[in-house]
Amino acid sequence: MLNYLIRRIVWMIPMLIGISLISFFIMHLAPGDITSTEAAFDPKSSEESRQKLRELYHLDKPVIVQYGLWLERMVHLDFGHSFASHQKPVFWAETDKDGNTTPGMIQEALPVTLLMNLVGLFLTLTLAVPLGVIAAKKYGRWPDRSITLFNFIGFSIPGFWLSLLLMYWLGVIHPWFPISGLHSLNYAQLDAWQKCQDLFMHLFLPVVIPAITGLAGVTMFVKNGMLDVLSQDFVITARAKGLSDRTVTYRHALRNALLPLITLVGLSLPGLIGGSVIAETIFAIPGMGKLFYDAVMMRDFPVIMGILTIGSALTLMGNLLADLAYAWADPRLRRGVMPQG
Amino acid sequence: MTNRCMTNRRLTRMHPICTKQYASIGQQLIIGMLCSALLACSADSPDQNTAALNQPYPAQTGGTLISAMPSDPSGMIGMVAGESASLAIGAYLFNSLLTFNQDLDLAGELAESWQVADDKNTITFKLKPGLQWADGKPLTSADVLFTWQLIIDEKTHSPYASDYQLVTKAEAPDAHTFIVHYAQPFAPALESWAHLQVLPKHKLAGQDIHTTSFAQKPLGSHYYQLKEWRHGEYLKLERNPKSVLGPANIDSVVERIIPDPAAQFLELMADNIDSMTLDPITYARIIPSRPALQAKLNQYKELGNSYTYLGFNLKRKPFDDVRVRKAINYAIDKQEIIDGVYLGLGIAIASPYKPGTRWSNPDLTPYPFDPAKAKQLLAEAGYVDSNGDGIVERDGKELSFEVLTNLGNKQREKTAVIIQRRLKEVGIETRIRTLEWASLLTNFIKPGDFDAVVMGWGLSLDPDQYSIWHSSQQGPGQFNFIGYNNPAVDKLLEQGRIEFDPEKRMQIYHDFAKVLYEDSPLVYLSAGYGLTAIHKRVQGIMNPVPPAGVGYDSHKWYLPEPLRRTQIQAE
Repeated sequence: MLNYLIRRIVWMIPMLIGISLISFFIMHLAPGDITSTEAAFDPKSSEESRQKLRELYHLDKPVIVQYGLWLERMVHLDFGHSFASHQKPVFWAETDKDGNTTPGMIQEALPVTLLMNLVGLFLTLTLAVPLGVIAAKKYGRWPDRSITLFNFIGFSIPGFWLSLLLMYWLGVIHPWFPISGLHSLNYAQLDAWQKCQDLFMHLFLPVVIPAITGLAGVTMFVKNGMLDVLSQDFVITARAKGLSDRTVTYRHALRNALLPLITLVGLSLPGLIGGSVIAETIFAIPGMGKLFYDAVMMRDFPVIMGILTIGSALTLMGNLLADLAYAWADPRLRRGVMPQG
Repeated sequence: MTNRCMTNRRLTRMHPICTKQYASIGQQLIIGMLCSALLACSADSPDQNTAALNQPYPAQTGGTLISAMPSDPSGMIGMVAGESASLAIGAYLFNSLLTFNQDLDLAGELAESWQVADDKNTITFKLKPGLQWADGKPLTSADVLFTWQLIIDEKTHSPYASDYQLVTKAEAPDAHTFIVHYAQPFAPALESWAHLQVLPKHKLAGQDIHTTSFAQKPLGSHYYQLKEWRHGEYLKLERNPKSVLGPANIDSVVERIIPDPAAQFLELMADNIDSMTLDPITYARIIPSRPALQAKLNQYKELGNSYTYLGFNLKRKPFDDVRVRKAINYAIDKQEIIDGVYLGLGIAIASPYKPGTRWSNPDLTPYPFDPAKAKQLLAEAGYVDSNGDGIVERDGKELSFEVLTNLGNKQREKTAVIIQRRLKEVGIETRIRTLEWASLLTNFIKPGDFDAVVMGWGLSLDPDQYSIWHSSQQGPGQFNFIGYNNPAVDKLLEQGRIEFDPEKRMQIYHDFAKVLYEDSPLVYLSAGYGLTAIHKRVQGIMNPVPPAGVGYDSHKWYLPEPLRRTQIQAE
């Protein structure tokens, strides 16, 4: 087991280097750099100052040299400073000699996105599993049909449109929820309980709407898995033993049907830190999606690479965790992966 | 408020207005859908407070004004930030030596007076007495000198350094005098001193300007100071009682960062923000269709500081022929573009200056829409449709070219389509291609590999447009990318740069605009209005809007106590 783990983790290093190399070159395939996006068409700026900037950021060197410089910094876990945002540290806070701290860009954006997506994923799963089970149990009858219909509606509605409609309904006509933003303006004056409430109210729409639109896929996945399992021999055996319908469904069938869900959740891990540009833009939430989008548009290379590196590291970790979870959940796999165990 | 402030003070930097609208995702689509949604569920109830809103109150202090801006500033030091959000917030915090008054003429801000020496090479600024920073430390000419040294420093990455690098020597002989020397007369210098936000030496000396925490916790001298900044969410500004221009009326200003215009509009409807900039559809269609909302708002329109144009690559055939350029100019109906794209909220222009200002030549009128004349000019240039396919040719070569514009700017895309149709009517074939901004710039504009472009220029408050039109400014990355080369214009631009007398300068730039008009190196398409909605609880707004813009005297705005938001006051 331990050997396996170490092997996997060691293997992640060349994979990360490969990923970063490919990302770095793809990033540089896009025309332009920071000097063509920032103040580039302002007649008060001059080509000489842009050239100076290019030299300072080593943008005038060949891509492979730039990659080398980047890799050298990464070895020291230095993610560098943003080009576009006043040299803010890309990843984590830095303190200058006077004791003033400048927060890191990813450090500020990541917790928001993680919180939103984890709650969203949790919500999706807690709704999708029961709905999928019901749909499978009542296959072809009205509960199944109405769940399917609901799913297709949720799946087909453009998220941004639903968001705007609900923002209008629940924010303007009935002002129950804040329309956009993450904190109220008087957040700092609130006590701890009110702060939680404030955050909950602000996050309600941005979390619930993607959860509804994302529900369809997972529900169908659970439903089909259930249908497959329910028609297998061991379920018939279980029923023949005289077990109650409840025990058969939840103890025998569901546990098997949920196995593929581990893959699905594992695959969604990179998405957890990715965030959604559209939702974050509409709801004015400063998360990872907006950060990455703006960085790409500004050709802010250190930020792009920082997010991609952390993202791919987390993705590899997610894959590893999913594999481990599989091994834990499925004894057949455990034996296949680890013959000695 | 910010956005107007930006227009009247800092957008004079000629920012490429609306060149980078990536952030508004499917803005038009969203607005369109929202519009139908709004009409469908019209839940307006007549507001009893509307009557109170229309009642005038005496000027008073206090209250919180909340407005929205589309992006988070990167930092508070405008000279290195290079983007409009930073400059806009900086305009609340920092002063410059000079400023523009409500008629867009130069006036003193930190400077009490300024004097250009007889040889025109030296400018002497006298600072007002008793200036101080918000922390009570005196603001002296040493701070101005320090700021100049900072922006020209080799280590400072400022895109705006070039005007200040022309200063050969700067000195601060006493606390109230600041003297700059130039190698040769440079008239736009005065405008440049209206742009440089003066920074405090006692906070910044010895710091790295790029990584200093001053960019997050600034100290200024203007009407407001930064109290709280939640990145990507909001900035809270608090009145600076020691403001060098006297305290403002409104206690605090909150700028909320809301990237999506539809979300901004919903916040405006829900009365969570007091002001926002509008697009033409919201201004002309959505708000008027909602009387209850309209009754709560004042809507302002003012001529913006930019224009859209169709520019030709003058180094390529057939654009080297002035008759072809004029023919295209006559073939395009500018009013149709203004009506169709801007819903009438724009005007046609005849010179690269804001109409109504001193620099705009009143004798010039925009090229009229005259297809017959266009066809005649094309025929004179040798272009006739000899094979009857509807496209004119000369020497067997059809008159056909590609029009580039930047992706995501719907107004420009629509404009290009309207142009395409009108040009087809006179026998010119065009193909439209939209490209992402950085790619358009790097792959097409910079190497000069294009036929024609639909783009925009900002209108500066100083009339000098040397970098756009002078024949020496054609190198890669420089701004005369259309390759305009006219010795007469070169001479006028050079004269304009060394002439300080406003009357004489005016004549020079009127002549310059006339030569441009005759040459038609680009087709001026339209200058759009800047549109703003401000809640009626904000009173004391100058009416009619002065040439400097609605936000010009925002420090005199006030919020009458009965009209303020209660929940914010409760803090």
